[in-house]
Amino acid sequence: MNKHEDAPVQIQLNWFLRFFGNERWQFATIPLLAIAASLIAITAIVGAMGVNPLNVFITFLQGAGWILKPAYAGGYGMFSDLSNTLTFFTPMLLAALGVTIAFRGGLFNIGISGQMLIAGFLASVIVGYSGLTAWVAKPLVLLIGVVAGAAVGGLIGFLKYRFNINEVVASIMLNYILQYSVSYFINTRFLDQISRQSKVVSPASMLVLSSVKLGGVNVSVPLVFLLAIALAIALQFFLKKTRLGYEIKAVGANRRAAEYAGIRVPRTIMLTMMISGGFAGLAGVSYYLGYLNCIQPGKLTSLGFDSIATALLGAAHPIGAIASSFLITTLNTGSTYMSSMMGVRAEIAQLVTGMILLFSACSAFFRWRIAVAKQRAEMRAAGTVAPGAEDA
Amino acid sequence: MSGLNTIVINGLALALPLLIIAIGGIFSERSGIINLALEGLLGFGAFCGALFAYAAVTWHWFPANSLTPMYLSFVVAALGGAAFAVIHALLCVKLRANQVISGVVINILSLAATGFLTSQINMTVFGGPSSKFDLTVAPRYTVSLLAKIPIIGAAFARFYAFEVLIVVLVAIFWFILYRTRFGIHLRAAGDNPQALDAAGIEVTRVRFVAVLISGGLAGIGGMCFAYSIFGSFSSAVYAGYGFLAIAALIFGNWKIMPTLAACLLFGFAQSGANQLVLWLRMDSSVGDLAMIVPYALTLILLAFFSKHNRAPRSLGEIYDSSKR
Amino acid sequence: MVHQHFKLVSNYTVAENIVLGAEPTRRLIGLAGYVDMRPVNAAIAELSERYGLSVDPTSVIEDLPVSTQQRVEILKMLYREAEILIFDEPTAMLTPQEIGYLLDIIATLRDSGKTILLITHKLEEIKQVADRCAILNHGKLIATMEMATSSTADMARRMVGREVIFEIDKAPARPGPVVLDVRGLVVENEHKVDVARDVSFQIHAGEIFAVAGVAGSGQVELADAIAGLSPVKSGTIQLSGRDITTAAVRQRTIGGISYIPEDRQDVGLILDFPLADNLASKSYFKPPFSHRGILRPEEFASYADDLIERYDIRCSNGAATLTRSMSGGNQQKAIVAREVEQDACLMIFVQPTRGLDIGAILAIRRRILEERDRGRAVLLVSLELDEILALADTIGVMFAGQMIKVAAADTLTREEVGEYMMGVKQS
Repeated sequence: MNKHEDAPVQIQLNWFLRFFGNERWQFATIPLLAIAASLIAITAIVGAMGVNPLNVFITFLQGAGWILKPAYAGGYGMFSDLSNTLTFFTPMLLAALGVTIAFRGGLFNIGISGQMLIAGFLASVIVGYSGLTAWVAKPLVLLIGVVAGAAVGGLIGFLKYRFNINEVVASIMLNYILQYSVSYFINTRFLDQISRQSKVVSPASMLVLSSVKLGGVNVSVPLVFLLAIALAIALQFFLKKTRLGYEIKAVGANRRAAEYAGIRVPRTIMLTMMISGGFAGLAGVSYYLGYLNCIQPGKLTSLGFDSIATALLGAAHPIGAIASSFLITTLNTGSTYMSSMMGVRAEIAQLVTGMILLFSACSAFFRWRIAVAKQRAEMRAAGTVAPGAEDA
Repeated sequence: MSGLNTIVINGLALALPLLIIAIGGIFSERSGIINLALEGLLGFGAFCGALFAYAAVTWHWFPANSLTPMYLSFVVAALGGAAFAVIHALLCVKLRANQVISGVVINILSLAATGFLTSQINMTVFGGPSSKFDLTVAPRYTVSLLAKIPIIGAAFARFYAFEVLIVVLVAIFWFILYRTRFGIHLRAAGDNPQALDAAGIEVTRVRFVAVLISGGLAGIGGMCFAYSIFGSFSSAVYAGYGFLAIAALIFGNWKIMPTLAACLLFGFAQSGANQLVLWLRMDSSVGDLAMIVPYALTLILLAFFSKHNRAPRSLGEIYDSSKR
Repeated sequence: MVHQHFKLVSNYTVAENIVLGAEPTRRLIGLAGYVDMRPVNAAIAELSERYGLSVDPTSVIEDLPVSTQQRVEILKMLYREAEILIFDEPTAMLTPQEIGYLLDIIATLRDSGKTILLITHKLEEIKQVADRCAILNHGKLIATMEMATSSTADMARRMVGREVIFEIDKAPARPGPVVLDVRGLVVENEHKVDVARDVSFQIHAGEIFAVAGVAGSGQVELADAIAGLSPVKSGTIQLSGRDITTAAVRQRTIGGISYIPEDRQDVGLILDFPLADNLASKSYFKPPFSHRGILRPEEFASYADDLIERYDIRCSNGAATLTRSMSGGNQQKAIVAREVEQDACLMIFVQPTRGLDIGAILAIRRRILEERDRGRAVLLVSLELDEILALADTIGVMFAGQMIKVAAADTLTREEVGEYMMGVKQS
């Protein structure tokens, strides 16, 4: 077993192992495998329903604005759809980054939805219903989002290290508590009697410029889109090149060893959850004051849960999250058009997401099988194992 | 006084389904597999049961007003939950997936699949655009003699048939877990799987069966909610009871009897809070605040008791028979 | 087979463990079979009596000491009427007295007609009980020897393939000023039980202070408390005259404590990190590795290359090697390299040679002596009496959480230390 430590053996691997066995690129190649597998599964399901799968995928892309539809209503065009996709992409990426940082710190923030809701609610109440001008309102909305999300995230971290409450259970309980309390306040004070949702926030506080004319079509400009991309890159730098990033990864990989190395584990857990919650809060304000512009009482957004899928698909890698956010967002925003054109229910978008997630969850297995296969190939090349004598 | 009775009646109607789901969770976790998938499993089980019952009523498989479809739907729900649990079992036992992630994946997948299938089946099979299967609310029974006993008597008043079923099942599964060979193997798998393997018992098989049982019991629990609180199957069934059951079993230290106590506490906290809103003649929107009570109570109690809890020793570990 | 790590279910009774997989059942009302332990309990008590194992079938495993758990493993095989019994390093965690007891049991088993296969690296035990012995080196059978006609030195030479220096050259210690001063230390574990009770001792610069004791006597908790990994309930710890009783781990590291922990894979290293990150895990926060919170990966790499070279750490991919992929001996070398480079005034070694081959063991023992001769204070915790006797200047024996004897190494015999470890002899 130690043989190849001393003298690395040059060996011929088949193309499959060469492609998927390269550990440097596994963060990208293995999710691709998961996507391919789920597309095949969906092709089978849709095909069984008697619908042409290729048309389904094309209409998804058309609905999301990546390719031209055959026809558009007046004042609308491909860029209207694309800008809608990007407006939805922004909170998706931010939320996925929140899941990603927690994940790297060995924590599972399943409370993203609740953190988004409380951030969106507080920003709506404090800024959205005030008469503040845009220059004051928009930065304030972002600030409130970060602080509210970080506070809830920090609370979960606190409960974890102080009382040993599993962060998954704590986040879920907090999700419900936040959901019902926000619902109470909206129903009693901020309800729009006609839409049965909270009143729409002022345009000055929105993180989006809606109904902008671009080449004759209506588009909406997500103001924090570039901020979200920049934050993803910053998070990658943070994890790779900073002291705190090193500490978070160490705590995530092995809590006891981190403590032994002198890292203050409770403080790091708190900070990780606060950063994670902060991202969730930003996602919340860019969703509730940038995409929906109001809050439906008694409901958590499914985006919070989809962001877990997005982060996992991105292999808990900030740059990977950018790519996977595009994919998941496309599925979400393209589904309505696809449904209307093909007669397949729009819920299939969630099903595709679920499938991708299912196959991503097997990634540890793929990795393990590939590592075993590689090792076996190496041993065979080194002549230590006869080709017939192998076992799993 | 009738208010107190209502608290007991409604409390039990919530606590018992919660308990059967939690016992499912105990089976899985005592065998060493973290089960955050209970929510998804109960939902999928309820979907299968509701689909069966709805089809049976729509196509008149049984005489009108027969209760047979309802009883059979519990069997179908158990099978459906167990079938969906195969995914969790495969991922965790065979495919070495992270068990927490697998649980979350199953919840998302279950919600997506049932949502898609419910509307698709309603449209193509039953010919109407609807995102739910309507069921009736199950009939309630009263043992009039026992019901006259003050306070305790309420336990025998206006109960659902499934509450009796659950009490029987709890006794059976208590016996299985603590008194049979399979139960002994199951608990050993969660403490020291290597020891079980060395004794010639296949750890993977024990864990696989344990996860299937958890799916079946969760499916039954989900069906109870579909027939009581909701009176239908829709995505509303995913109301977080699976997670509440997980909190209950952690709170009950992975043992059946303390978990029963935890479930009763949640049930009575919820029904008590609702009753309080009625008594004080408060606005119905305050009901939202009453809904918070069980969750907040869970958090507070966990804060006090989590330190002394002992999870099964090998919980969450991937079993690798080649490792010594 | 009796494994090195026992295969016992901790919350089950002795009897339940022994019949695991073959539980006797009775029928309840002719229907469901339920497990009935009563006949088993009786049978096991009888078996335990016959072979002189003194095990109570109804006690729960986690309440039993290690040596009793081992006898449960033996009972397990006897209950199943095994004819061939395999023991894998059975004496690693036992005291000399317990080893004697175990070897007696093994002899009894042989005399009653069982075949025994004993896997061990302790030549003394082989000499004492074996009839024949096979020597393996790197998976190859080197020789099979009749014990009646061979010497331990001969066996050892064949084991490593070269002449072994059993006695490490050890210059007399030249102790300097007191470095570590522990007074009245009480440490409790997570169950609020006092595991170290009223422990007091001093270590001087240039002195090896070795703590002997049976596994679980509180010596590991003592080391953890000095390193800051578990909190002190009462008492004080002073390092070079400064009170560090409540200092954080990081402060102690900077203050001059380095620590080679017992569990190198779960505590000493982060296996999923590259080697470079592990070699810098106690210095990443200071220059040159870090400037104002920003890390310098090139510094990590060059530092790692330097240590790999100087400490002869074998790794397939240099500084970027995933630590998990390295062998146990090289992982330990990496930890030792990192800790020695701390340039600490106190070095704590807990079980530094456990599970390593003889070559690696000798290298690490020599390193410990070198560090002493460079004027460091060394606290050595080991379950191997040989190691303690080979290295110690001063021996402290712990029994049931108390430091019951502290004396210069040359004033104690092996047997005396063993008696203190068992609590037979009190000072």
